[in-house]
Amino acid sequence: MKAASTIPQGARTRMSGTDQHAQGPSGIGPKYSDSAPAEPGYQGLFDPTLEHDGCGFGLIAHLDDAPSREIVDLGLNALSRMTHRGAVAADGESGDGCGVLIRRPEAFIRTLAEDHGFSLAPLATAGLVFLPIDETAAARCRQELAAQLAKTGSRIAGWRQVPINPQAAGPLARERLPRIEQVFVNADRGEDAAGFQRGLYVARRRAEMALSDVQDFHVVTLAEHSLGYKGMVMPERLRDFYPDLAHPRLASSAVVFHQRFSTNTMPRWALAQPFRFLAHNGEINTIRGNRFWARARGARMRSPFVDFREFKPLVSQDSSDSASLDNMLEVLLTGGMDLLQAMRILIPPAWQNVDGMDPDLRAFYEYFALHMEPWDGPAGIVVADSRYAACALDRNGLRPARWALNANRMLVVASEAGVVDWPAREIVAKGRLGPGEMLAVDLHRGEVLESSRIDQINRERAPFKRWLKQGVRYLETDLIDPRLAAEPLAPTELLRYQKLFNLSAEERDTVLKVLAETEGEAIGSMGDDTPLPLLSKRVRSLYDAFRQAFAQVTNPPIDSYREKLVMSLHTQIARESNLFELNPAYARQVMINSPVLSQRKFLQILGLRDEGVGSVVIDLNYLAEQGLDAALQRCCAIAEAAVREGTLLVVLSDRAIREGHLPIHALLAVGAVHQHLVESGLRSDCNLLVETGTARDPHHFACLIGYGATAVYPYLAYQTIYDLARSADAEARSVEHRELGRSYRRGIRNGLLKILSKMGISTVASYRGAALFEIVGLAKEVVARCFAGTPSRVGGPGFDELQADQQQLADRAWNTGFGVEPGGLFKYIHGGEYHAFNPDVVGALQVATLTGEHADWLKYAALVNQREPSMLRDLLEPDFAAATPIALDEVEPASAMFRAFDSAGMSLGALSPEAHEALAIAMNRLGGRSNSGEGGEDPLRYGTEKNSKIKQIASGRFGVTPEYLVNAEVLQIKVAQGAKPGEGGQLPGHKVNELIARLRYAKPGIGLISPPPHHDIYSIEDLAQLIYDLKQINPTALVSVKLVSHAGVGTIAAGVAKAGADLITVSGYDGGTGASPLTSIKYAGGPWELGLTEAHHALRANGLRDRIVLQTDGGLKTGLDVLKAALLGADSFGFGTAPMIALGCKYLRICHLNNCATGIATQHHVLRTKHFKGMPEQVMAYFIGVVEELRGYMAQLGVHTLKELTGRSDLLQIRSDTDARRQRIDLRPLLAPPPNPPAAACAPGRLTRDSDDIHPRLLAEVGPAIEAGSGGHFSYAVRNVHRAVGTALSGLIARRHGNTAMSANPIRLDLSGSVGQSFGAFNAGGLELHLTGEANDYVGKGMAGGLITVRPPDDARYVARESAILGNTCLYGATGGELFAAGTAGQRFAVRNSGATTMVEGAGDHCCEYMTGGVVAVLGSTGLNFGAGMTGGFAYVLDLDRGFVDRYNHELIDLNRITLEGLEAHLQHLRGLIERHRVLTGSALAADILDDFRGYLPRFWLVKPKAAGLDSLIHALRRAA
Amino acid sequence: MKRDPMHFLSSERRMPAEVPVKLRILDGREIFGEYDAEGAADQAARCLDCGNPYCEWKCPVHNYIPNWLELIREGRLFEAAELSHQTNPLPEICGRVCPQDRLCEGACTLNDDFGAVTIGGIEKYITDTALAQGWRPDLSGVMPSGKRVAVIGAGPAGLACADVLARQGITAVVFDRHPEIGGLLTFGIPPFKLDKDVVRMRRQVLEGMGVEFRLDTEVGVDVSFDALMDEFDAVFLGLGTYAAVDGGLPGLTLDGVQPALPYLTANGRYALGIDAEPPRLDGKHVVVLGGGDTAMDCNRTAIRQGAASVSCLYRRDEDDMPGSKREVGKARDEGVNFLFRLLPKAILGDEHGRVRAVEVVETRLGAADAKGRRQFEEIEDSRREIAADQVMVAFGFTPDPPEWLGKHGVQLQHNGRVRVAEQGALPFQTAHAKIFAGGDMVRGADLVVTAVYEGREAAKAIAESLGVQALAAA
Repeated sequence: MKAASTIPQGARTRMSGTDQHAQGPSGIGPKYSDSAPAEPGYQGLFDPTLEHDGCGFGLIAHLDDAPSREIVDLGLNALSRMTHRGAVAADGESGDGCGVLIRRPEAFIRTLAEDHGFSLAPLATAGLVFLPIDETAAARCRQELAAQLAKTGSRIAGWRQVPINPQAAGPLARERLPRIEQVFVNADRGEDAAGFQRGLYVARRRAEMALSDVQDFHVVTLAEHSLGYKGMVMPERLRDFYPDLAHPRLASSAVVFHQRFSTNTMPRWALAQPFRFLAHNGEINTIRGNRFWARARGARMRSPFVDFREFKPLVSQDSSDSASLDNMLEVLLTGGMDLLQAMRILIPPAWQNVDGMDPDLRAFYEYFALHMEPWDGPAGIVVADSRYAACALDRNGLRPARWALNANRMLVVASEAGVVDWPAREIVAKGRLGPGEMLAVDLHRGEVLESSRIDQINRERAPFKRWLKQGVRYLETDLIDPRLAAEPLAPTELLRYQKLFNLSAEERDTVLKVLAETEGEAIGSMGDDTPLPLLSKRVRSLYDAFRQAFAQVTNPPIDSYREKLVMSLHTQIARESNLFELNPAYARQVMINSPVLSQRKFLQILGLRDEGVGSVVIDLNYLAEQGLDAALQRCCAIAEAAVREGTLLVVLSDRAIREGHLPIHALLAVGAVHQHLVESGLRSDCNLLVETGTARDPHHFACLIGYGATAVYPYLAYQTIYDLARSADAEARSVEHRELGRSYRRGIRNGLLKILSKMGISTVASYRGAALFEIVGLAKEVVARCFAGTPSRVGGPGFDELQADQQQLADRAWNTGFGVEPGGLFKYIHGGEYHAFNPDVVGALQVATLTGEHADWLKYAALVNQREPSMLRDLLEPDFAAATPIALDEVEPASAMFRAFDSAGMSLGALSPEAHEALAIAMNRLGGRSNSGEGGEDPLRYGTEKNSKIKQIASGRFGVTPEYLVNAEVLQIKVAQGAKPGEGGQLPGHKVNELIARLRYAKPGIGLISPPPHHDIYSIEDLAQLIYDLKQINPTALVSVKLVSHAGVGTIAAGVAKAGADLITVSGYDGGTGASPLTSIKYAGGPWELGLTEAHHALRANGLRDRIVLQTDGGLKTGLDVLKAALLGADSFGFGTAPMIALGCKYLRICHLNNCATGIATQHHVLRTKHFKGMPEQVMAYFIGVVEELRGYMAQLGVHTLKELTGRSDLLQIRSDTDARRQRIDLRPLLAPPPNPPAAACAPGRLTRDSDDIHPRLLAEVGPAIEAGSGGHFSYAVRNVHRAVGTALSGLIARRHGNTAMSANPIRLDLSGSVGQSFGAFNAGGLELHLTGEANDYVGKGMAGGLITVRPPDDARYVARESAILGNTCLYGATGGELFAAGTAGQRFAVRNSGATTMVEGAGDHCCEYMTGGVVAVLGSTGLNFGAGMTGGFAYVLDLDRGFVDRYNHELIDLNRITLEGLEAHLQHLRGLIERHRVLTGSALAADILDDFRGYLPRFWLVKPKAAGLDSLIHALRRAA
Repeated sequence: MKRDPMHFLSSERRMPAEVPVKLRILDGREIFGEYDAEGAADQAARCLDCGNPYCEWKCPVHNYIPNWLELIREGRLFEAAELSHQTNPLPEICGRVCPQDRLCEGACTLNDDFGAVTIGGIEKYITDTALAQGWRPDLSGVMPSGKRVAVIGAGPAGLACADVLARQGITAVVFDRHPEIGGLLTFGIPPFKLDKDVVRMRRQVLEGMGVEFRLDTEVGVDVSFDALMDEFDAVFLGLGTYAAVDGGLPGLTLDGVQPALPYLTANGRYALGIDAEPPRLDGKHVVVLGGGDTAMDCNRTAIRQGAASVSCLYRRDEDDMPGSKREVGKARDEGVNFLFRLLPKAILGDEHGRVRAVEVVETRLGAADAKGRRQFEEIEDSRREIAADQVMVAFGFTPDPPEWLGKHGVQLQHNGRVRVAEQGALPFQTAHAKIFAGGDMVRGADLVVTAVYEGREAAKAIAESLGVQALAAA
């Protein structure tokens, strides 16, 4: 059946020809009938249950638990001052949700009860409940709750209809508005508050289970300690919506508040925060694993007070991550755990690799690590229970939290400083939370507990250290493992294993050998141009069907290398026990440092048998006749029986191969057994070990662990490496043999850490079982049996096909006539896997673009368009038969189409300047756009035909200056790159020549690092902020966000649209790259067909499609590719590799070596100047070829313009002429009609609004002085809602005078107050910002010149040198200018600084990370990991506590004393800086130091890159001066 | 040697030492020497290891060139030999006689500007040196299948077929009418391109693998084809193309006019020591007709036989010559005189029936045809004679299928080539399911390496037809 026939008739007629409703930049797809039935299976790709959020949050508490109306008001006001951290739905009015959790508003509750005539007992409370609108359903809910409460000894005193004002919510929110009521409950049995609270919990949980079929039943709060109000409204309207909140008797001693930014606009009232205990800003990356483990553990959760085993599921499996976390916290607290303990167990700080952590404290974490994996991901959490109000940050400190304590003993903690207007003279202390820190108010004792105090309380709960000492066995690695191949296989035997497990010569040489020799993964270039595994004609590894999940936008990836201290692969082997019981017996465990086992460790663990630890080895080899599915079920049954008998170690082994038998793929076995044991409630009782020949590269290990394996022993990898070493000629190599296994393991561990960190996960414990993959190419039956819950959207091979594949391998394995497979997955090998850019295609493309002859183009296009189906699009074809063709000249001319064509971002640095410019010239002449890539651009090109219209902003921020930004039509934020999503990059030193160094503000010859995340985008609201900043600096530019396809990208795209982007690019996995680890090229990212369609559908469903130009890229080659992309929903198209080939690139895949013989991907002078022969005309010929081919198809389809093509998936059909295996692939979801936009969506327009007019005012008042270049002096008051103050002025300066030319006649702005984020972002020379007050995150990021000073008000009572005055990530990517601040800065101060000079009085973790230039002076203590990845510039650090040596990263930098003899120039320089600091900020600390400079001098360190000589620093000093 | 990505810039393309022209035309031995291990590693290290290995792609047998270059760079000679033999049963021969400039080296990315990697030289080095050091193909893991196959013709196709059969445990018995194996390799290709000891060594290797040779045995004469069909499980035909194209030129029967093959064969027989006396052309003015590789072989052989002059006549331009540019260059170095745009019309004799001249007409070239080849036309009134004492005709060859073929239902194309792989048959399987054919007699006169390819693939098909699993991909 043709997909088009599923579209309602009416839709077809309305689609034809002239659509008068076309609107917005994107054109418009067909208007599907509103009543189109949503048939299951034809649903399309958007899953509305997927969503991510980010937000603003905070709490206000009175230390002495004294309730007041003021606290409530402060909370509500603070909430409304973080509106910019939330988002608005497509209707422009519905918020994403906000709310407050109010502590024991006793008087309020009793007043209401009185008003309603309810009689309240001495112990009573009120709860807020969402009920179905339907009265019958609502009544059922009320009855159920009443019945359950009665059973637990409580009694409902009455129900109250909560007054609301629906007009305060937007139309979208109103559509789903539930009935909102309050229930008043009395404690009837005379219990204490805790008993009452437990009863409320049990009753509520039972009611929830009984009412699980009722959609709108949601208990917002029903607790003894607090009352919540929340809704889908904008924060400033919350009080309007709930008139209760204005009630004069509403007084409280603590309020927790939260404002949400959801990627989705589907209003889900229940998901507004705070939840019952907490409000969460961030994202739990490991949520799938956490939920899985919660299910597994549910069977043994029993506290002395509550038996949780009756509650299934223990935590919510389908609401938001934050809601599940709240559920788990509630379980722990209700079970009797103390909040301080519960929070630290759920979200522990980094403890495994932090030197100098207190051993008792470490023991506390280690003890609980066995019973609870971290809920890992960016998290700022505010929480309140009956005793505490607290705030905690995750180990990476990826969300900001600033606090202040005033003289009235009120504490405020919030995402931003300045959300309450307390005058400085009333503030007695203020600060920020660091990574892994927690701050609590003990309301019973009236004291503030800082992190160290909480640690002390926790470590004293039990003698954990002693227990562990007695119970833990550490399996240490010997330096050299002599048993790498204690039992080496004979060569013929080894060959058989290699053939059976599909290990090719290529994999042996390019993967295993490199891992064993270099302890790292092999690097490759260009993309993956092989068919998707499910389309391949070859037997491909099962692992190939698994695409790694990666962080983009809503959470950041981590740099596992430079931020090692947060990462851990520690793995414990033991039986889990009851979390609620502290018992020395529960400390018994075996601790190994990673889940990658050596032979020795594997045998040691199996040897535990002798000590009474039961184990069972399940042989994965089965008789072929038995069938794969049955064999899997057999494994599950054996495992279950063994664990029930008390077996601790379940070993899945494919080692015992024999003829006539087939090995079950270890991944299938692990998935099925793990899943089965979880469902049987047995998984926590055992450990799953895997002995397999299938695991060779880091991805393989990640898959096995991600689906539940505890540890893996990769025997075939060891045997193969041993054999490689054995076959080497030189005798000398045998000495090294023994260390190869260790090196290989290190390589795997590094790779594994990278895969974890790609998703923003720090510990393997929380990665285990988290199933962070998308499956592309497995049948439903397989997914259901082994990988339930993992997205798998297009079907693919089932058990029979998988078995047939393995049979094919077995046939060869047992036949001695066959040698090892040559391979061909990474590089083209004749007769091996198909490659889309094979020599024929490359040759034909080059001929076609050289001659420009249409006939040559057709030859090229035929090679591509008629290939064996290799990508999903190859299974689709335009339905020409059903169309009414038009004449070719009725199709819009090519010249009108080129603006939809971009060249993909390729940096100058990756490309030679000649090639980079040729691309720009070609695109400009055509009327398309070229993309600068992330390496900056030579200012000489601005304003000429060599200017790149798209300027990229990537995580390294190389060359991102105000002038760069104002010379763009499009500013593209590269969140992820197709070939290596979730990873940073590295430009090797040999590619950094004078030009590259100049443009990137670096030094020639020194390698440059792009961090994995944008350090100013850890969350969706951060992205909104960056977009805001970019719009400030260049108001005319469109902002584009580049994403990579993966399940859920649609939701992210919707969030990005809400964050204010104009363009979204969804890249496929097959995009190119200059250099990337091979496993990233092969295993991360998905096909663009899925991502594009999902994004198109999601944007439509959220009513956002018309605001966005949607682009796709990834392996596009011909007009037919473009046609299909357009029909699936793309407005615009990006091309990377093909135009390169037109320029002469031969797809050599050696771009990372700088030896490109075609002179394209190299900076080598000879290669560039003598051997680059590309001409812009060739690139133009390429695009002309594509467009002319496309026009031909359009004529056949009867479509006049490109715009009319967009989203017309009805014009595509599924090819019927493919083989049986490919017929199992189900692409109907791609062709399903996209969902209808919500009726309430309003006209296109910007979603975010400024709350007042500071920017227009600044421009109007200061602008003329800039235009005139005359300078001037102005004053303003600022608040935290004023963001990117000064940036618009810098934009104007850059446009008129460039980066620095106005420095001689500066504009001076005197500002006072708590300024919002991005203060002075992209500051240009000639702008001086002097702030009295405090600033938030991102001060001076991208600064190129000028001056920023921040000082506390003169009457401040807090001590400046101990108080936070700047937020996180200041001076990120700065290239020049100065920043002086009299106070401390947050995390990642001066990250990627490449030119700014700065002085602060203290800094958080990761200061000077990736720095390449400039001078950073810290007159106080720094956090951990100072100077990681720092390759340039230098720093002065005043080390009063002599702890700096433990806090800096030793890899690239060294420390020097500044002595009078040797470093006179530095001494003078430092004193000069301090003097300037004193003058500019009035710093008392600076004055003290200057007063006793000789006394302080020995306490200063001069920190510099090891590679830099002291002389060169002095040179840099002079330049800086 | 350590990998240096820029090595191709710092180390130039360098062939093994070449015997100077003056010496080489005297001794008639191979003109290229051999690399030493260091030299081979140095040249191998120039390989860029392209993502698209154009060399391998262009190579008719798709040798794993970058992979064995890497092994040579690392000094792992025996592994390189092993890998080289996976795709090519006769690598040391292809290393010598392949027109690399048109194949692997022509496709080499470095060929455009930098000088291609010396793939042929290294290929030759690998097997020559490995064999000299005692390496032999390891067939110890091969299980005997009990099947036996007759291979008719010990030329490149037959030898390749026999090798691959042996590797699958199939006994190959090779029949050839000549007293030594090699076919054209031995009797056609002159010793200065391929030393006869190389072929002898290969014979040893093959015999060591269990291949049996029955030489001096002409099928249809010394043994009947029917007998072979009875005795063996399958038969492979690799008879080559031996019918010379003569263009119907008048004067072919004159004394002193020789078709290329018999001329070259005589030379080969001497080199093998079968004939005691070397053929000589001392003082003669030799004219060679044709522009292909065979013509070049004739030219250069004539020089070595002491000819006073050697002229090569070709009807089109130098650019249009079908032979390898490299061969043309060598011939010119050695003193061959090329005459272009001359179309022979007749060979003229004297009163004794001895050749005295070639009558030619001048041509001019027109536009290119659909295949990109320029057509020529004769120029009126441009006839002239070119004096000659000896004329070699090298216009090409066509198959000369033996008459016994037809009896067994093997079908031919109109041009005499054997039809294979038709109507659902296996590759290289003829209309008779038990008979397979490959090499020049199937595709027409072509390169040695294509014959090797066909022999290799035919052996896989034979194995499949016999229920023996085919070799690994290649």
